[in-house]
Amino acid sequence: MKTKQVIEMAQDLSGRWTIPILLSLKETGGRFTPLQHRLDISPSRLSDNLKKLESKGIVRHLSPYERRHPLLPEYELTERGLLLQEAARSVQLTENALHAGPLSAKPWNWPVMLAIHYECRRFQAIRHMLQEATPRILSMRIDALCQTGLVDKLLTAVPRPGYDYLLAAPAEQPVKRMESDLLSLL
Amino acid sequence: MYKSGIAIWYNVTNLEATVEFYTKRLGFQIDFMDEAGRMAIVQTNTADCFIGFSEAENVVPVTSSAVFEVENIEEAVEQLKARGVTFNGAIETIPDFVKLATFTDPDGHSLELSQTLM
Repeated sequence: MKTKQVIEMAQDLSGRWTIPILLSLKETGGRFTPLQHRLDISPSRLSDNLKKLESKGIVRHLSPYERRHPLLPEYELTERGLLLQEAARSVQLTENALHAGPLSAKPWNWPVMLAIHYECRRFQAIRHMLQEATPRILSMRIDALCQTGLVDKLLTAVPRPGYDYLLAAPAEQPVKRMESDLLSLL
Repeated sequence: MYKSGIAIWYNVTNLEATVEFYTKRLGFQIDFMDEAGRMAIVQTNTADCFIGFSEAENVVPVTSSAVFEVENIEEAVEQLKARGVTFNGAIETIPDFVKLATFTDPDGHSLELSQTLM
């Protein structure tokens, strides 16, 4: 059960702007334009991303009538948002350690890594763990992760001939640490 | 209890356009500007009276007016018109009390000039 929650957290953090927004919201006072300038993002794109985070219950958008002063936040993290902010820090540290770029920018990258960490070795097992992802996207992500050297693909004969997926040696410890960080937040 | 001074704060959509309006057109002095924080403060013609601005995604124009007292309202209106300020209608007179001229800033926040007649 907790396994599913860890994966869900990783999936909630996916998206080009999710982690940058979560990690910059507080320092920019929760205000739209300072955040926009800091992230160097277009207003409409930032607005779309914030709407998405709002619909997932991660941020709360305060109406102009709720704000008691123009310097007070326009957006604040919900309880879930605060939890994900902590998780975002851990994911970012892990991504820095792996030197493979922002994996969280694309949906399902981290859930795939975590599923493999949870010993889903075969494609079908990964698919079973990540039921909301289509087989096509899963196989795209797995292939890309193999190419970047984070996942090893081994041809094995048992239980029947097929490919086994394993975290590559340099990825094992960072992913293990990240998983335990995320788990500790639950 | 109170110290001398008053400040008015507005939400604005564009800090640069706002600062331009309050300094170049209205003639107030910039007191403080934080470009990264998207906020600024101008000092009005009155000691200890400041107007602050902070950028916001959604701005609701304020309908209560900040009123600036002038020596001669007809002259003041002409001067501000020459600098590109658009007034809402003509000067209004409340007999034996005050003359008023209303205008808005770039976000539609209501502002006023007044000349007391008493």
